[in-house]
Amino acid sequence: MPTYVYAIVSADHPAPLEGLQGVGEPPAALRTVSAGDLVAVVSDAEEGLRAKRRDVLAHEAVVEALMAHGATLPMRFGLLGPDDGKVAEVLEHDGDTYRSRLTELDGHLEFHLKASRDEEDLLREIVADSVEIRELNERTRSGDTPQEDRVALGELVAREIAVRNAGQAEETLRRLEPVAARVARSEPGAGHFLNVSFLVPAGSSKEFVHAVREEADRGGDACAFTLTGPLPPYSFV
Amino acid sequence: MTLVQQSSTTGGGSGSGNLYDVLELILDRGLVIDAFVRVSLVGIEILKIDVRVVVASVDTYLRFAEACNRLDLESGRKAPAQLTDIVGEVTESGAKGKSKGALTGAVEAFTDSLQSKREESEEEPRKRPARKSASGRTSATRREE
Repeated sequence: MPTYVYAIVSADHPAPLEGLQGVGEPPAALRTVSAGDLVAVVSDAEEGLRAKRRDVLAHEAVVEALMAHGATLPMRFGLLGPDDGKVAEVLEHDGDTYRSRLTELDGHLEFHLKASRDEEDLLREIVADSVEIRELNERTRSGDTPQEDRVALGELVAREIAVRNAGQAEETLRRLEPVAARVARSEPGAGHFLNVSFLVPAGSSKEFVHAVREEADRGGDACAFTLTGPLPPYSFV
Repeated sequence: MTLVQQSSTTGGGSGSGNLYDVLELILDRGLVIDAFVRVSLVGIEILKIDVRVVVASVDTYLRFAEACNRLDLESGRKAPAQLTDIVGEVTESGAKGKSKGALTGAVEAFTDSLQSKREESEEEPRKRPARKSASGRTSATRREE
């Protein structure tokens, strides 16, 4: 049966597994695979395992619990090795890399931030700022305007949205970056201008959250910030 | 634990928002071992790709044009809304004291909220359209469209 890998920790991590359950139905029992001074937390993986809510939550709960007791390298969901022996081999073979990452991440937390601005508010500003867009908007309001005018309007607006979103993202990041050790950005989904993870020293969490809150206040009512964390350092392994 | 969350209690605020917000991290980030395989994520990854395809299309342009046409330019800026006040106490208590204790407390809070969801639906966690906000409008996370 394949071995599902949750996380890698160092051998001096207490890795308390009582009360935790693995992926699958019924939930698989957790165990550890050791190689030298590294330990992988693993379980069996049932046939046909998929990314169901139950399983993603189980994965997350195990990694969270480990993280509370010391530096933890969280695996991406769904990683399967052929068997425990092969997991031990990997720990041995890539041990230096894992050890140095554990050292780097010790005492750090990930916070994830998504930020969006109300579309209507943004469109209102764009229409107000551009004569060209305003005129096109007036012209296309009556029902019988050519499609190409409406496409042209939409294209101009889409470009403005992209520019303004990028500007707001940069501005927000510039003020949050100094409080974080590292930053990992990803493509914001439609409607968002920022989708970013921060690696924050545990001792600076309060300061960081405060800084995010200030940004949210600065954004005003039209902006919505969602900060999630502390999380295992998924984005920084 | 969501520190700052739009509409934490309205729109059915089931708390699964927590999972939704970190789903991409759990599924797309994290350490991988090259020689190992991954369980199938069919369906979930396709949704991500769609976002990028949709951004620069005639359909998107027409949607923006229509949204502009619909704007009531006479009315003022949006009335104050949401930005639910942080789960202030958790933040405060979670971050006080020495780092190790703070970390542990905060993690427990987060883990609890995840575990309390176990009893719910066993559906695969889809990227869903965003929750309704306090003012009733939908903030756009159109991954599923």
